Amino acid sequence: MPKFTRREFLLSLVAGMGALAANQFLAACSRIADENGSTSTQAPTVTVKTPAEREGDSPAKEANSAPMETPIGLPDMVIARGAGGDDVSPEELVRRALVGLGGMERFVSKGANVIVKPNICVGYHSYEFAATTNPWVVGALVKLCMEAGAGKVSVMDYPFGGPPEQAYAISGIEEQVKAAGGEMVTMPRFKFVATEIPQAVDMRQCDIFDDVLKADVLINVPIAKHHSLARLTLGMKNLMGVIRDRPSIHRNLGQRLADLTSRVYPTLTVVDAVRVLQANGPTGGSLDDVRKIDTIIASPDIVAADSYASTLFGLRPDDLAYVQAGAAMGLGRSDLESLTIEEIAVGS
Amino acid sequence: MKHTGRRWVALRKLSQYLALLIFLVFFVMTRLGGERADLLALLMRLDPLAMLAQLLSSRAWVVGSSLALVTILLTVVFGRAWCGWLCPLGTVLDLFSLNRWRVRSGPPANSWRAVKYGILIVILVAALFGNLTLLVLDPLTLLFRTLTVSLWPLLDQVVLSLEIFFYRFSSLAGPISTFDSWVRPDILPIEPVQYRQVWIFAGVFVGVIALNVIAPRFWCRYLCPLGGLLGLISKAAFVRREVREDCRGCALCTDACPTGTIDPEKDYASDPSECTMCMDCLEACPRSSVVFTPSLSVAAWNEYDPNRRKVLTSIGAGVAAVALLQVDRLIGRGHPYMLQPPGGTLNDMLRKCIRCGMCMRACPTGALQPAMLEAGFEGVWSPILIPRLGYCDYACNACGQVCPVEAIPPLSLADKRLQVIGKAAINQDTCIAWAEKTDCIVCEEMCPLPEKAVRLEPKEMVREDGTVVMVQLPEVLGERCIGCGICEYKCPVEGEAAIRITAIEGEIVY
Repeated sequence: MPKFTRREFLLSLVAGMGALAANQFLAACSRIADENGSTSTQAPTVTVKTPAEREGDSPAKEANSAPMETPIGLPDMVIARGAGGDDVSPEELVRRALVGLGGMERFVSKGANVIVKPNICVGYHSYEFAATTNPWVVGALVKLCMEAGAGKVSVMDYPFGGPPEQAYAISGIEEQVKAAGGEMVTMPRFKFVATEIPQAVDMRQCDIFDDVLKADVLINVPIAKHHSLARLTLGMKNLMGVIRDRPSIHRNLGQRLADLTSRVYPTLTVVDAVRVLQANGPTGGSLDDVRKIDTIIASPDIVAADSYASTLFGLRPDDLAYVQAGAAMGLGRSDLESLTIEEIAVGS
Repeated sequence: MKHTGRRWVALRKLSQYLALLIFLVFFVMTRLGGERADLLALLMRLDPLAMLAQLLSSRAWVVGSSLALVTILLTVVFGRAWCGWLCPLGTVLDLFSLNRWRVRSGPPANSWRAVKYGILIVILVAALFGNLTLLVLDPLTLLFRTLTVSLWPLLDQVVLSLEIFFYRFSSLAGPISTFDSWVRPDILPIEPVQYRQVWIFAGVFVGVIALNVIAPRFWCRYLCPLGGLLGLISKAAFVRREVREDCRGCALCTDACPTGTIDPEKDYASDPSECTMCMDCLEACPRSSVVFTPSLSVAAWNEYDPNRRKVLTSIGAGVAAVALLQVDRLIGRGHPYMLQPPGGTLNDMLRKCIRCGMCMRACPTGALQPAMLEAGFEGVWSPILIPRLGYCDYACNACGQVCPVEAIPPLSLADKRLQVIGKAAINQDTCIAWAEKTDCIVCEEMCPLPEKAVRLEPKEMVREDGTVVMVQLPEVLGERCIGCGICEYKCPVEGEAAIRITAIEGEIVY
């Protein structure tokens, strides 16, 4: 029987520890190690960089938690509506809305690492049931990003009902994203990292998905639908998909959603209201609760987009606690009268 | 001839590794394995012991179970070649032979070989009376169950820990993410799927391997009931090991034989019931005196083979054991929170379930857990649904699809969605809305039904400090609820959920 002598044991122990140390050292050389450590107290530097920021002509900090400045001559928000008829293409609605905002190039620069975050909350039903974002809306955004020269477009969500791979397939989103040249990415546990929220009013720390923190551009694509506690799930509610600890956010939901938004502020919010779910949300399942209104709301201002979307359900922006909290924190504007809104009729 | 022997041994090892690999691939594919269900069921349906016992017990013929005849036929021709060439547990036992740590005292007396026949007879007799508990000792179910319950969650945990550790180094974040996208969700789950009392299952498995210390393939020689069944058939196997006249009695084959069946006192002859056709003796023999040739006779009965007295004793033990189990008061009344997989009944489960664990592997949320004593001793390690550990996914019907014996009926997704597993009930003393007078609504939000089975009733309530608040109070609409349990799983109340699924069926009809 070959023996493992004490000498050999000690030698391999030293070798092993040396390798570990070398590993640490090399990692430290390339960049400061452990920037995601859970006890880290240093404030995170950047969340979502806008192209303007990367070009260095804009002060960094505030840009993270407020919408991009609207260039002169462009609207703050675009509403694209199907002008009647059954064959309005969701892709066309998205394209026209983005043209109205000045083109995807305004938000996505060449080589940018883009994350598109639709609502794929459950893997129960196909898109007709309006529980998950319209696949062609997501696909169109991926295409536009690719056309604008994005380096990589990843699409992800973290469903609460059923495993993600099932939800990705059943929602129909996977098919459209792949066809458009994007990538469906699942969200593994180890990438949710403890993150400080410096501007938070209530929720000062939260485990947030790392890719979202590191992405150059985050495009938020919620579907507008009913929800018993939030009343409606729209853009800010959709950002819940980037965190894991859902129960904790439910207490004081409105303020905490605004806190989260301040940390992962989307470059662009596109509310999918092609079909809206008016009752039994967020899961849906009955076509009787679905209304087809062929509408796309696009704006870099998430609070404004949510405010406008609330009116589609006969509500006022202030009826939504998170819109109130978001406006109070300066994350955007909820007074629709003060916004420049361009309305586009598509089709016929 | 040594050369030929080496080739045969190499071929056997190839077959063993391939079979183990296929077993593992099937295991991995079983998760959520709806469309490939017929293919996946193949694995257990090749097992004649499980299929025979299931047939005796349920008295229902699952057409696919005829596949077990293939294994029987293989045995009629080649003896226990299944054990030596195919059985994945046998291969694991060869891989972890523990030869270095073998005890000096040598293998136990030959009479111990009778134990496996005893277990076999007790299993078959119990099955005749509608009990399948001892199928937990079937080698295929044992390995599959251990993989499901213990080894895969363990692997997942280790991989996750490594991922968390290495992800902290920013230079490794990219490679780790790429690695993760390879293994998840195809091989390991994205959300952890874990089981309770994992150590019991791991312990049994480690124990079976550890017995190798006493003798090589201890399990196969002395304990395996499937080995016993195939052994009995092998008495009349067509191809058998023979020793030619020119044998000089060097005893190298005796030393090489992993089942210890080559007896120097009987001219190095072997018992076809014990021989796994592994060909190690062929390789060991310096004179090519060992041959495997056709023969048409029934091999001699040994002192350890079943005789009338042993058979009668085993039958008696089986009858007594089953009778004792069935007077257990616990299962007579049922367990108020013991839920069956969708479409299953406790009766069906006890009579049909072969304890393979494929349903638990298929379940994407870990809702299906091995029963401990909830279903009495009779129901040990059959699946039960525990909503606090996992919920029945509204878009999944995998468990019924993969079940090789239809203990869980193979329902279409539309039918499964109508299947009532149990009924939810709210405990108003602990519910956040009712007791703390604070909006929560999680149970309503999570309810997957198109017409939700939880209704929110806004009501003005007075808190302890006198403030008047509007609270949305949840109520269960019993006639709608299907008992999928996602409300219980997601209920944010610590410890026992404030909404629980109660069983609607529990009693067993004998």
